[in-house]
Amino acid sequence: MSDALNPGGARPNVVLLSLGLAGLLAWVVFDAVSVAPNRIVSGQGHGAWDVAGWPGLVASLAPMLAMLALAWRPSRRHLRLALGLVVAMLAALPAWLALAAARLIESEMPQARLGIGAGVWVALFLLLLAMVELRTRLALPRLLGGALLLPPLMSLAVWLASGLEPLALRQELLARRDGFIAAIGEHLLLVGAAVAISLLLGVAIALAMRRWVRCRTLGFALLNSLQTIPSLALFGLLLAPLAWLAAHVEWLAALGVSGIGWAPALLALVGYSLLPMVRNTFVALDEVDTGVIDAARGMGMSRGQIFRQVRLPLAAPVILEGIRITTVQAIGLAAVAALIGAGGLGTFIFQGLGQAAMDMVLLGALPILVMALVADALLGALSDRLRQGAAS
Amino acid sequence: MIELIGVSKRFGQTTAVDDISLRMAPGELSVLVGTSGCGKSTTLRMINRLIEHSDGEIHIDGQQIRGFREETLRRRMGYAIQSTGLFPHWTVARNIGLVPRLLKWPASRIHARVESLMTMLGLPMDEFADKMPRQLSGGQAQRVGVARALAADPDILLMDEPFGALDPITRETLQHELRELQARLQKTIVFVTHDMDEALRLADRLVVMDQGRIRQQGHPLALLREPADGFVASLLGGEDRGLKEAALLTVGERMMPLGAKPLPGERISRHATLREALSMMLWRHAERLVVIDDQGMAIGELSLRRLVGARSHE
Amino acid sequence: MSEATGILRGGARRRWLAPVLWAALLLGACLGMESLQGLFRLVEPDSRRVVYARADFLVLLGRHVFVVAVASLAAVALGVGAAVAVTRRAGRDFLPLVAQLASIGQTFPPVAVLALAVPVLGFGTLPIIVALLLYGLLPIVRNTLAGLEGIDPGVREAARGMGMTGGQLLRQVELPLAAPVILAGIRTSVTINIATAAIGATVGASNLGDPIISGIVNGNTAYVLQGALLIGLLALTVDSLFARLQPTLT
Repeated sequence: MSDALNPGGARPNVVLLSLGLAGLLAWVVFDAVSVAPNRIVSGQGHGAWDVAGWPGLVASLAPMLAMLALAWRPSRRHLRLALGLVVAMLAALPAWLALAAARLIESEMPQARLGIGAGVWVALFLLLLAMVELRTRLALPRLLGGALLLPPLMSLAVWLASGLEPLALRQELLARRDGFIAAIGEHLLLVGAAVAISLLLGVAIALAMRRWVRCRTLGFALLNSLQTIPSLALFGLLLAPLAWLAAHVEWLAALGVSGIGWAPALLALVGYSLLPMVRNTFVALDEVDTGVIDAARGMGMSRGQIFRQVRLPLAAPVILEGIRITTVQAIGLAAVAALIGAGGLGTFIFQGLGQAAMDMVLLGALPILVMALVADALLGALSDRLRQGAAS
Repeated sequence: MIELIGVSKRFGQTTAVDDISLRMAPGELSVLVGTSGCGKSTTLRMINRLIEHSDGEIHIDGQQIRGFREETLRRRMGYAIQSTGLFPHWTVARNIGLVPRLLKWPASRIHARVESLMTMLGLPMDEFADKMPRQLSGGQAQRVGVARALAADPDILLMDEPFGALDPITRETLQHELRELQARLQKTIVFVTHDMDEALRLADRLVVMDQGRIRQQGHPLALLREPADGFVASLLGGEDRGLKEAALLTVGERMMPLGAKPLPGERISRHATLREALSMMLWRHAERLVVIDDQGMAIGELSLRRLVGARSHE
Repeated sequence: MSEATGILRGGARRRWLAPVLWAALLLGACLGMESLQGLFRLVEPDSRRVVYARADFLVLLGRHVFVVAVASLAAVALGVGAAVAVTRRAGRDFLPLVAQLASIGQTFPPVAVLALAVPVLGFGTLPIIVALLLYGLLPIVRNTLAGLEGIDPGVREAARGMGMTGGQLLRQVELPLAAPVILAGIRTSVTINIATAAIGATVGASNLGDPIISGIVNGNTAYVLQGALLIGLLALTVDSLFARLQPTLT
């Protein structure tokens, strides 16, 4: 209770202190980077000391120490400063990698690759955690919190353009630029199609469930058990019937439907997407305040008018929430679809795993992660917006 | 006995309770009353150390409360709150037996105690023992809450707006039952409320609080007749104070005793309040009421003159 | 009252029916896959073998269950422990961060987490267990927090006011009241783990995902079907088990 009445008081922020200390430890103990002469050979690890020498190492610790000092007396002003420091440290990470590239890779090794070491990964992770903590403590709005990531991303772009040429990820990307862009396209297309189809179907099913009570229990039971079937299994189970259909129905085969490829992937994605979509739409339409509906009816609105002008707008934020869950889920599941030849970013993950080429795995996994986070943030912000609109 | 000596409580910059001193005698029902945020709940919760006081001393039967282990202290006191705080996953009987079980009473003794409490509070054992809290009405749940507070037979009972969420009729019934219970059990009760009628109806000692300080304390009648300042007067009902006072006095104390001869006219019980008597006079257009005892025998007469009469009559 | 318990018992028997039936189907499919040979021959008329034989299905099932069980048990212990820790007075400072992390983390696709775990932890069974454990923590932490915070504050206040110690409050009041929500989180976590473990077959863990991957690689649809059938049955068995557990705890 005393905390609630005394925010940002004199008590040290234990969370930031722990994160900072863990960060310092990881920075000093773990490898900052690894250097490999070419793609096949595994890399040789280098600590922060190798990258910058003793004075450089000490200098690199300074901002973190400053953040620890600020966290010791967490007034609002101190926390703002600490947030600034965290953003600056995030933006400095690419520069640190470029420094490592310049000092550890000789110019006569054009094939050499710079891998990001555990020290930098852990520092990145802890800094992001510190950012989340500071954002929460300072109660920053969602979009501003997102905007704070811009300086680090811009810094990354600048250093990637020049200075980080040996970065393994960059080389991997350059080597497969066309395939990468195509994979992103395929991935987005698959997700977009699945979400769009399941939205249409989902709303229709939800409406049917509102009208026929018997549909409700049966429908939810069916969708629920569908959701529990592992994706790999569902893709597999769809393989045989679709292959049979393609073999026996000519126009389907002409459309490109076959046991493997986009058809089973899309079908399975739609199947998984239906549960969150139907559930949210149903709940959203069902939970509109009955007083409001009564009032609308009392004023003489027709059923159609009530649905379009009252029920649907009021239900929109919750339906959008369903779209958000569906989209994030589909982005992840579409990666698995690569196993049955549906393309997309999952291809890189599974090829990379097959060849034990970790950079390639990262090339597939990182964009999927970013896509999921961005979709979540954008649709979440949109839903907040709608909610506010509905409230005002 | 509970004694607060110069007690304060600060939350950061704000002072919730500011240097208050109080003595609550054994068997006395003290009601802390005031507007919301005046510090009455904080004061109550400092007594069982749900909130630690910042300054001053609080004594229970002469011992500082800081000397006890928190849990030991709390098990010695009953505690009832507005939301009842009944454990939704336990039956009524198990809820009531909570503190005895914490005190490791033998099962047979707990059972007997729960049974007697349920009977005392009008909750028949065979009907209610196995019910879950969600199956109870508001009034029943609050009875269970009170029974649970009384379970280990504590000398002290702390009650934080226990009847605040009930409808007026149930609330009045429970207030009445609490008074009767108190007449029998003679606990030291500290009762917090913002409902002035409830405070006046229950209190042996009324403590009016405002902004963390005690504005005035004493017998309800004393406060009604001589409020220390405008705040106390307005809190006590302003122009309605006459009626509030009338609600505290009974017909029996004000009537003119008569011999046991039957009289014509409207009849009223000697236990009725003067307020009820006045209402009856207004309603029946009667200037005179016949006062009867429990057997329905006329024992006196109350005239309008006498009802509104000078205080020297008492 | 005896009538009521009678009805309850009858209901309980019916609820046990589903998990037992699914489990029987699962075991039957594991043991009797060979006898379905004719059926699979229809799907793959040209292949030399139509029933996956590189490993015994029971062994694959055992490995699958083992990986999921170890990861899930550890995730329950750590997840519930962490959520309880950050809702105590000493750990309260960490509550906002942990709550945020649990909800942000759930937008990470499990495949991506599995893929990212490999460069760090290497191939094999242990990395998969660690990846499943990490990912499985999130729904458990989130639901435990939701369950604990959903408890009527009056109940906690009364419990403390009656003189319950912190441990008594946690064990007798908070955990029992939060149990349904926690269990729902565990159910989600285990469901995801079963699915992700199957994908783990691509990073060198041998389990029910093997026949599927092998079938895809060798173009043998029958293998794929066998793996998919068994994983599906495993998922339904476990899920119906949770469905059976859930109402008894409410």
